[in-house]
Amino acid sequence: MAATGISESPPEATPRATPGALELRGVTKEFRLRRSRTVTALESVDLAVGNGEFVALLGPSGCGKSTVLRMLAGLDTPTRGEVLVNGGAPAELVRGHRLGIAFQEHALLPWATAYDNVALPFRVAGRPVDADRVNALLSLVGLEGFTDARPRQLSGGMRQRVAIARALVLQPEVLLLDEPFGALDAVTRRRMNFELARIWADQQITTLLVTHDVDEAVLLADRVVVLTGRPGTVRHVEDITLPRPRDKALTRDAEFHDIVDRLTALLDEGAE
Amino acid sequence: MSRSESAVVEGPSAGQQPVGKGDRTAPRADTEDGGKQPRRALLRTSSRTLTRLLSRYWTVLALVAAWAVWVRTQQLNQIVAPTPAAVFGDVVGHPGAYLPDLGWTLLNAAVGLALGLVLGVTGALLVWASPLLSGLMTPMALIMRSVPVVAMIPVIARVVGFGITAVLTVTTVVSFFPVFVMAGSGLRAAPAATRDVFTVLAATRLTRLRLLLLPHAVPAVLVGLRLTASTAVLSAMLAEYLLGTHGLGQLFAQSVTFMDPARAWGTALVATVVSVLCFIGARAAERLGSAHFS
Amino acid sequence: MNRARTTVLTVAGTLLLLAAMEGVGRLGVLGESWPPLTQVVAALDDPITRDLMGRALAATATAAGTGFVAGTLVALGVALVGALLPPLQPGLDRLAAVVHAVPLIALGPLLITTVGREGTPAVIAALAAGFAVFVAATSGLGAAGAAHRDVFRALGSSRRATLLRLQLPSAIPLLIDGLALAAPAAVLGAVVGEWFGAPRGLGVLLVSSMQNFQTDLMWAAALSAAVISLTAYGALAGLRVAAARRFV
Repeated sequence: MAATGISESPPEATPRATPGALELRGVTKEFRLRRSRTVTALESVDLAVGNGEFVALLGPSGCGKSTVLRMLAGLDTPTRGEVLVNGGAPAELVRGHRLGIAFQEHALLPWATAYDNVALPFRVAGRPVDADRVNALLSLVGLEGFTDARPRQLSGGMRQRVAIARALVLQPEVLLLDEPFGALDAVTRRRMNFELARIWADQQITTLLVTHDVDEAVLLADRVVVLTGRPGTVRHVEDITLPRPRDKALTRDAEFHDIVDRLTALLDEGAE
Repeated sequence: MSRSESAVVEGPSAGQQPVGKGDRTAPRADTEDGGKQPRRALLRTSSRTLTRLLSRYWTVLALVAAWAVWVRTQQLNQIVAPTPAAVFGDVVGHPGAYLPDLGWTLLNAAVGLALGLVLGVTGALLVWASPLLSGLMTPMALIMRSVPVVAMIPVIARVVGFGITAVLTVTTVVSFFPVFVMAGSGLRAAPAATRDVFTVLAATRLTRLRLLLLPHAVPAVLVGLRLTASTAVLSAMLAEYLLGTHGLGQLFAQSVTFMDPARAWGTALVATVVSVLCFIGARAAERLGSAHFS
Repeated sequence: MNRARTTVLTVAGTLLLLAAMEGVGRLGVLGESWPPLTQVVAALDDPITRDLMGRALAATATAAGTGFVAGTLVALGVALVGALLPPLQPGLDRLAAVVHAVPLIALGPLLITTVGREGTPAVIAALAAGFAVFVAATSGLGAAGAAHRDVFRALGSSRRATLLRLQLPSAIPLLIDGLALAAPAAVLGAVVGEWFGAPRGLGVLLVSSMQNFQTDLMWAAALSAAVISLTAYGALAGLRVAAARRFV
């Protein structure tokens, strides 16, 4: 068994890899409700994801983790602090069509086939569709025979796989995943986790995964950032040095369970 | 000019009496300093409201402006098309000429709405109570949705008799359909889970209706009324025009016949404003109702 | 089992309706002015009446059809402008609401002087149909879900691409609903427009037969208008069902 690679670091520590491909510096996000009340979703959050790193943002529902992801995608802006992608604004990456994103809601176009859904980023970017690439990705996510199927003919897990293929098709520099398997049942979700680990091992893109599933976070990530409380703040950062490739055998590993238990305890504490 | 607006123009200390010769400086200093803050805030909110109004009504204003320009450039005889000024002038200057007929039209519309509401809800309840009836009514519902009632005014007038009976029949029928359809879908709007709870609690049909279905139906009925409030007014006018009964429609017809275009267009203006107000009123009622019932 | 039952009941309902029309007429329940259905149909046996009806039907159908197409195109154009230039949207909404609120009878004299007695029915039909399509189109163009819109934004989509690839396809079911409502509105507009002095049409026929106590002819005209309306609505509603399979 590999040497224990668990190390704890204070919340503001810089990551192993440099320079920060994704960075949040002192980010605070407030939302204005009706009757001029504000709710603070995030308070002074510092986060960094290095090039080629897979970071999981772990936390209970409502702690603002989706907000972090939306800001990195340029869908929202911070009230205070900075959000940087490759040292610049997220909008630049988006303009260059170099961002891949998948949400919990698969958001596939219901009138398009799986092929057309995966090909969508090409068309949106105004580029000719690379059929080989689209087909290669559909194979990569295990959907070779389903190129002409429409979303309503696919199961939940299959639709998410199409969504992930779509996120990867333009070879993005950054991959953002917002609880992509949240709507699936436990068995399918576990299977999809291993699928994603396999797919990611192929490309090693800078990835931020938002999730409330501890197993999923530890299974997939190089580093887990625990976000808790309302407003959300970084509670703890854990380096995961479990060996790659991460496969099914890992779920029987005592070390894996140890990490999961500790992180679960942290989440429970945060919830009180 | 309202008090707050005059305060903006003249300053908040305007209208305030000086306390006494000796006290001149003290109160003035107070109002000058404290007066600036509310004034600035007031300017901000006024400009924001103004921009909002402008962004919504620029098309309407453009339309009125285009109307004025068109009349002038066409150099049409005033008989054919009056200027906006002439029309507004007639309405504002002679409200007495419009009011009685306006009253009639509103009465026709209101009675029609009320009857349409009662019949529509009753119809929806009957259809709900009997699945057989619901199936039989499907072709009827299709016809309701697709046949223009107002085109049938001549037929209605022949069948029920000319005069106010016909107008009321028209407004009732026009109001009936949307309420019937919306009430029907409202009665079915209660979520399945809640309905199951009522079943498990062995609620009688009447209790179920009273406590579950009707409250769910209220927002839908209010939407139905919103959809039909202004239509009721407009169809009342059409019926009055065609059948020569009291109301704005007849006033319009008469004004056209007696070559008083300002009055005719004034009638149209009044009717438009009324119909818009009805729509706004109905929408406000709908919002209140939804807030209360859902 | 349920579908068969629904079909049976619908057929039964239709027959019941026709029987009611017949029955009320035969029994004279609603007086002289409600003739039995068979009598109305029989009136069409007369070739002169048939000719008259035919010409009136053609005139109204043409006006309604032209108005429907013109109104739809204009409404779609305006809705697209509103979607591409969001700051203009509130103004356009208000314009549509005001146009809808203006009583049709007020437009009559105005249109007669501008487009003439022949053109008025088509223009009123266009306004009536256009409003329904505009409301449906603006509603449809905003129908795409938040997650879909976020995906397009994150993909760096231009406003044009989002309109073309997301908003327009999402709008299709609601748009067809709007078209289905616009069809009877166009027929209504055409008929009402004819009341202002058009040379021929079902509206003209309705008023003249009402004034001349030609009950059978009046009902024939009314039923014809109803049939055109129903057919147009039915065809579009059928299209809606087909669209639901592809676009929802």
